[in-house]
Amino acid sequence: MLEAQSLTRVFGSTTVLDDVSLRVEPGRMTGFVGANGAGKTTTMRILMGVLAPSSGEVLWGGEPITAEVRRTFGYMPEERGLYPRMGIREQLVYFARLHGLSTGQARQRADDLLGHFDLTDRAGDVLDDLSLGNQQRVQIAAALVHRPTALVLDEPFSGLDPLAVDSMTDLLRTEASDVPLLFSSHQLDLVERLCDDLVVLSGGRVVAAGSVADLRSRGAERYRVVLDGHDAAWVRDLRGVRVESVDGPTALLTLDDLPASELVAAAVARGPVVEVARVQQPLTEIFREVTR
Amino acid sequence: MSEQPQQTSGLWRVVAEREVTTQLRSKTFLASGAVLVLGLVVLIVVLELLSGRTSTDTVAVVDDTAATAVEAGSTVLERTSDGDRLEVERYDDAAAAERAVRDGDVDVALLPAGGGAGYELVGDDAVDASVSGALTSSVAAVVTQANAERDGVDLQALGDGTQVSERLLDPDAANAGLRQVASFVFVLLFYLTALGFGMQIASTVTQEKESRVVEILAAAIPIRTLLWGKVIGTSILAIGQTVVLAVVGVVGLLVTGNTTTLELIGPAIAWYVLFFVIGFVALASFWSVAGSLAGRQQDLQATTLPLQVILFAPYIVTFTAGESVRTVMSMFPIVSTMLMPSRLAEGDVPLWQLGVAIATTLLAAVLLVRVAARVYEATLLQTGRKIGYGEALRTRSAD
Repeated sequence: MLEAQSLTRVFGSTTVLDDVSLRVEPGRMTGFVGANGAGKTTTMRILMGVLAPSSGEVLWGGEPITAEVRRTFGYMPEERGLYPRMGIREQLVYFARLHGLSTGQARQRADDLLGHFDLTDRAGDVLDDLSLGNQQRVQIAAALVHRPTALVLDEPFSGLDPLAVDSMTDLLRTEASDVPLLFSSHQLDLVERLCDDLVVLSGGRVVAAGSVADLRSRGAERYRVVLDGHDAAWVRDLRGVRVESVDGPTALLTLDDLPASELVAAAVARGPVVEVARVQQPLTEIFREVTR
Repeated sequence: MSEQPQQTSGLWRVVAEREVTTQLRSKTFLASGAVLVLGLVVLIVVLELLSGRTSTDTVAVVDDTAATAVEAGSTVLERTSDGDRLEVERYDDAAAAERAVRDGDVDVALLPAGGGAGYELVGDDAVDASVSGALTSSVAAVVTQANAERDGVDLQALGDGTQVSERLLDPDAANAGLRQVASFVFVLLFYLTALGFGMQIASTVTQEKESRVVEILAAAIPIRTLLWGKVIGTSILAIGQTVVLAVVGVVGLLVTGNTTTLELIGPAIAWYVLFFVIGFVALASFWSVAGSLAGRQQDLQATTLPLQVILFAPYIVTFTAGESVRTVMSMFPIVSTMLMPSRLAEGDVPLWQLGVAIATTLLAAVLLVRVAARVYEATLLQTGRKIGYGEALRTRSAD
């Protein structure tokens, strides 16, 4: 398990990170969201050791992390970067060897990854000759080439079309099925679809963290009531309920004091009911709420 | 989980290997190397044409006295004109001899002058001054000898005390021209090689910052390892090129039969290679710092300026400074790399001075590498802008 404990980072007189703690469990995809400038990239750089925290520490398996452990991680920095004029297979082999693989193992891994992304016939091309999407694929391959023990990916999906996103998530699921994986993204729908856990950062602080399921169902219980052909205005008379809206047979309300079972009973007593359903809060809303 | 051991100690080799293979495949690198080799070959050929070549002039004669005079003149010429010689070609009469001069079969003709008034030298459109001088004195000597014998004069007694002999205080100075050329070549070669490869180190470092690949590199290996890999890889290339040039120089001198030159500057070539190795390694780390301070390739001119000055200073010193200034400067660290081989090419250098030069450069290398590693670590991840030297030295690592 990869953990950040009370990370604080000050640049000059600006506090960019303020007491940030988070945990990334093995085998669970952890999404890292936050507005621009919230401190995601700084946090990831500190996790990877390319930037030192002003205070706080990074833990690996509960112990302070060492440089040796970090070198087994896979990293995709926010600022994409590979050698523009170097062949893509050669680069992957180079990065694998820098991570300690033998030349033979490195070549094997590079070929496997290029094969996964259908880039085998481009293996000899230099990076600059590839489309942006393909460059992104090579970048993720470079992060995976040494079979990392943890993955820290900064915006890995930005600029990819939906098919490419699927192909990349497939790969991540197989390659990183049992290692901690933290990735940041602006695409909340994507995070919602892919992630098991979520950390929301705002203004350098963690404002929400936990499993996606918990976060979505937390807070007030919202229900939608849809009746069959008769008006739903009567819900305004219920006690312990805040009504958000009534539109003909449909009402949206929040239960403050009333148990859900009583809401169902009351609805059925009034006539035919189509549904009484709990409304899960979309991430976008949670995000707006916690980062406000 | 990863099963491979995480040894970072040998990883500089992987970095160095990439530096070497990338450059060996670069057309620019190969072309500039070829230009240097070609320039050296041309220089050796020109040197050979200018200094080493001896010429033999053919002199047409019609009588025995002239023939004897030409033989004597050849001896004189050999001594005064670095081994030039004269050859006798007999003709039946003056007309035939003159025709031979006109046709270019012989260089000059030494013919009895009309009216029995001694001899005349007949050339086509010019007579070589040294040939003329040698023949004038030899004719005078031969004819005086003949006259003396005829009149019974004791020429030996007459000539007593008129001989002038030569004694050289500095026999080496005879080769001063050649030595100066060699000394110039050493300075120029070091300047070009150190500047070329230095700029190359700096620009690959900047390129890694510019393309942001440095962040991945920094996450994969210690930044010091990256620095060492770069310095060693590029040094191997630079030293390789220097050895190739030295071999081309030696082979070139051997092929042109210029063994005297080789004997003179051979030891200097060996010293040059040695000085180059330590001088280049000392500066290499400094070049990588210059690269890490630049945010973009355009900044390199500014950040590498101190290095360009360091390399250019001895260049100026070689050509302008007096003897004592050069002697002192040639023991300065790094600067000695250029000045010492150049002094060695010009003449002997006391061994202790060589020792001092090597010791100071080694010391400078150790210090520079340390400071460079620190600054490199501190500045490498600050991408996107140019950083000053002062600021870089104040910045702490990973800050």
